[in-house]
Amino acid sequence: MRVEGSTTDNLQDALSKGVLKRLPLTFLPFVNQQLNQWDFLFSSERRSVERLLLYVASLTPEQSAVLFRDVVQLEEKMGVRNWEFSTTEQTIQNSSKLAASPYFQDWRRSVQAVFDAADQHSLGASGDAVKAGNRLVLLDIPQGLPADTASVWRRWQGIGRPLKLDLTLAGDSRNAFEALLIGTHNGTGGHAGGLLDAARSRPGISPTDTWVVDAGRGLVDAIVAQESSIAPATGAILLSNGRLDLYRQNFSHEMNSMRKDLADADAVFDRLRKVDVTEWCPPEVASDPAIREFVRALYLTGNGAVIFGNSFVQWASSEAFRRARPSFLAAQFGVRSKPKPFTGVAVFDNPDQVNPLPAVDDLPGSAIDAQILALYVWLAAYRYEDYQRSTVCVCLAESLSQAYVVAPPEFGLWQAAEPVPFNRLSDALHTWIA
Amino acid sequence: MENELCPGAERGSEFVIDPGSLVDPSKRKFLRAAGMLMAGLILPKAQAVQGPRDPAGSGHKVVVIVVGGVRRDETFSPYGQVNIPHLSSDLLPKSLFYPHARNEGVTAHFNAISSILTGNWQHVDDWGKIAPTTPTLFEQFRKGLGVDRSDTWVVASNKALTSLIGASSDSNFGPAYGANVVFPKQLMLQAVADALRGGRTANMADRSKVEAELESAMEGSNYEGLGWNVFDASDQLDPRVRSSIQSAISSFVRGGGPTSGDELTFFMSREVMRKFAPQLLVVAFSDVEAAHFGSYALHLSGIKTADRLAYQLWQEIEANPDYRGKTTMVILPEFGRDPDGSSTNGFFNHRANVDSTRDTWMMALGAAIDKPQIIERPIHHIDLCPTLAGLLGCPRLDALGRMIPEIRS
Repeated sequence: MRVEGSTTDNLQDALSKGVLKRLPLTFLPFVNQQLNQWDFLFSSERRSVERLLLYVASLTPEQSAVLFRDVVQLEEKMGVRNWEFSTTEQTIQNSSKLAASPYFQDWRRSVQAVFDAADQHSLGASGDAVKAGNRLVLLDIPQGLPADTASVWRRWQGIGRPLKLDLTLAGDSRNAFEALLIGTHNGTGGHAGGLLDAARSRPGISPTDTWVVDAGRGLVDAIVAQESSIAPATGAILLSNGRLDLYRQNFSHEMNSMRKDLADADAVFDRLRKVDVTEWCPPEVASDPAIREFVRALYLTGNGAVIFGNSFVQWASSEAFRRARPSFLAAQFGVRSKPKPFTGVAVFDNPDQVNPLPAVDDLPGSAIDAQILALYVWLAAYRYEDYQRSTVCVCLAESLSQAYVVAPPEFGLWQAAEPVPFNRLSDALHTWIA
Repeated sequence: MENELCPGAERGSEFVIDPGSLVDPSKRKFLRAAGMLMAGLILPKAQAVQGPRDPAGSGHKVVVIVVGGVRRDETFSPYGQVNIPHLSSDLLPKSLFYPHARNEGVTAHFNAISSILTGNWQHVDDWGKIAPTTPTLFEQFRKGLGVDRSDTWVVASNKALTSLIGASSDSNFGPAYGANVVFPKQLMLQAVADALRGGRTANMADRSKVEAELESAMEGSNYEGLGWNVFDASDQLDPRVRSSIQSAISSFVRGGGPTSGDELTFFMSREVMRKFAPQLLVVAFSDVEAAHFGSYALHLSGIKTADRLAYQLWQEIEANPDYRGKTTMVILPEFGRDPDGSSTNGFFNHRANVDSTRDTWMMALGAAIDKPQIIERPIHHIDLCPTLAGLLGCPRLDALGRMIPEIRS
C-alpha cells in the first residue's frame, strides 16, 4: 500500500492560516503527531483529523472558543500549563499526568464532545457517509484449540447465533479456515478460489480494504506461497505474528531494558519510534512503509501484542478497524506456551532464553484466550458505524464444528439446514462479499 | 467517532513499566558505603527487640489483602464464582461482605492502593515516584501509638508499587513512621535477569539451583536494588529479615507447587507473620494483571491463585497463636477491569469510568465481625483506612473516608 503523501488543499490552507493555534494544549500532541505521520496514516484517519481541523477553521474565533470552552477550563483546573507536557507527540509522561488528574474523566468527555461536534458538522456539510458495500469479518479458533462447548459463545450474549457445520473437506488436506480463505483443491487437481481472492478482486477496492492477521505463520506462509504462483488482482495486508518474530523480539528486548522511570520510558519509546525496522520485517511488511509503521504502533501501544500471538491478532485487528476500516478482515488465533517456572508471566519476550526447559503448549488456555479475543475483535469493529450494517461476522470453532454468526437477516446462511456443509458456508460468504 | 486523543492505558500497561533493571549503580554504591559507615547507627531498633512485644493500641491485628483488578463478572457473579471457590464457599459464610465497594479515584495501581491505605483519594504519579499526600494507616498507627516499625509491613507482588507506598509526604508524618515494604516478585525477576546476564539460565530450570539464584539475587542487590525499604537500613539487611526471606524462598522453591510472583509473596507474608507477627500487614497480589497482556486464561488463573492464597492466609491467621482470635482480615480488589466492548480494550485495562471498573466488592472476617452478613449499602475504598485505624486504636485523623459501622472492635 502507498498512501498519498500530501494533505489536501483545504487542510493545507487551514494549517497555513494557523488553525493549530486555536486548539487547546491537550489537543496538540495528538494532532501534531498525526500531521507528522501523515504519510503513514490510512485514509479514514486522515479524514478524521481533517474533519476536526476544517471544522475548527470554519468557525469564528468566538465559536471555536465556545467549542473548546470546557476543555480549556479543565486544562486550567488540571494546571496543564505548569506540566512538563509535550505538544509535539503523545508521550507516556503526558498520559500519566492526564490520567492522574481528578479531572481526567471530565476531560475525556469534553474531548469526545469536540470530536462528536466535528463529525456532526462534517456529516451535515458533505454527507460524508460510511462507504457502502458488504463487509466480512472472518475469525478462526483452529482445530488444535479445544473450545469449550458450554462456554464458547456465552459472551456473545445472543447478538447472533451458533450454527453447526460439517467441515469435511474431500480430497484436501488444508484446514477449514485456510481452505475458506485460500481455496480448495478438488480430487481431480482443480482449484476453487478462496475468499481472499474474491475479496481483493472486488471493484473499487484498495489494498487496505483486505486484511489477514495470523497468530502464527502457517496461514500467511500459505498465502505468500500461493501468491508467488498466482499474481493477485491487487494486494492485501498480511500480518503474521510468526513472520514478525525478529521485529517483535527486537522491540521487546528494548522495552525490557527500560528502567522504571517515566523519562527513561519516553526515551526508549522515542528511540523505538525512530529506529529503522526494515531489516526486521518479512517482505510483505518491509515493502510498505505504512504497514511497517502500523506494526511499530501496535508494538508501542502494548496490549500484549509483543508477548502473545493471540493478543497480537486481537490488537492488530482492532487497530485495523479503528485506523483503516477494512471491508474484509480474516484473523486466525493460535497456540501460546505455558509460562515457564520462576520466570513470572511475560517477563521476557522469549522465555526460552531464560529457562531451557522445553516450551509446553497451553492448548486449553489458548482456547480460553481465543474465545474471548474473537469476541473482542468483533466488538472492536462494531464500535464503528461502518460495521453496524451490512457486515457479517463468522467465528469458526473448528474443534466443535461450529460457527457463531452475526449477520443481517438477508444473509444466505440463515435458511441453511444444519449442519451446514463447508461448500455451502463458502458459497454464502462468497456471495456476501461479491 | 471514537477519538484517539485520550492517553492510552495501553502505554501505561504493566509491560511498559516492567523493568529489566531497576538498579542505579551509582546510587547503590553510595548507599553501600554509607551503609557500612552507619550500620551501627541505623540498624533497626527492631533488631534489639527480642521475643514478643506488648501489642500497641487496642491489641487488634489487621491483615489487608489487596488483589489487583478483577471484575465482578469473573468473581462474585454466577459465572465467576467457579474462579473463587474459597472466597465464595469457605469464607463468605463467615464474613461480612460488601458486594459494592467502590473505587471513585484513579483506577491505577499505585493510586488505588494509596487511596485504600490513606482514606483519601490519591492523585499522585502512577509509577510510584511520588508518595501519597496524606498519612497512611501505617503512619497513623506508628506515630499515634508509638508503634515499632516491625509491626507494620507491606508485602507486594505488584510492579507498579514502590517503597513510597509505605509512607506519605505529609510533613507531620512521613517515612520515619512508615511501614517495611518488600517486593518478593522483584527478587524473582532480579534472579532471572542475573541468571541471564551470567549465562546461568540452566539454573532456572533446576529447582535445586533456583534457590541459590534467588538468594544470590538478594545478596547481589542488597535488597535496596529491589525497591524494598526495610527497617530504614539502606544497605544492611536485618538478620531476621534475611532469615525470613531465606525461609520463604525455600518454601517457595522446595514446595514443588506453582511458581508465580504471588506464590512467593504469600510465602514471604507468612514468614513475616511467623517471625514478626506485625499488627498491621498489607499483602498485594497481582498475578491477575497478566490481563494486561491479553491472556484471559492467565488472568483467570491469577484470580484462582489469589483466592487460594487469601484462604491460606486466613488459615495461617487461625492457626497462628499470635493472630488467632484477635485479627481482622479484609480482602478487596484494587478496582475492576473495563467491560467487554469498551474502547479501552475490555479486561486488558482498568481505566474506563464505568461500574465494571469502579464497582468492586470487599470481604471482612475475623475478630471485628459480629455476625456474618451481606451489606448491600455501597461503601468506598477510602472508608477502609479510618475503619481500620479505629480498630487499631489510632487517634482519629481527618480523612474523606468514613468509618464502616459494621466493622468494630
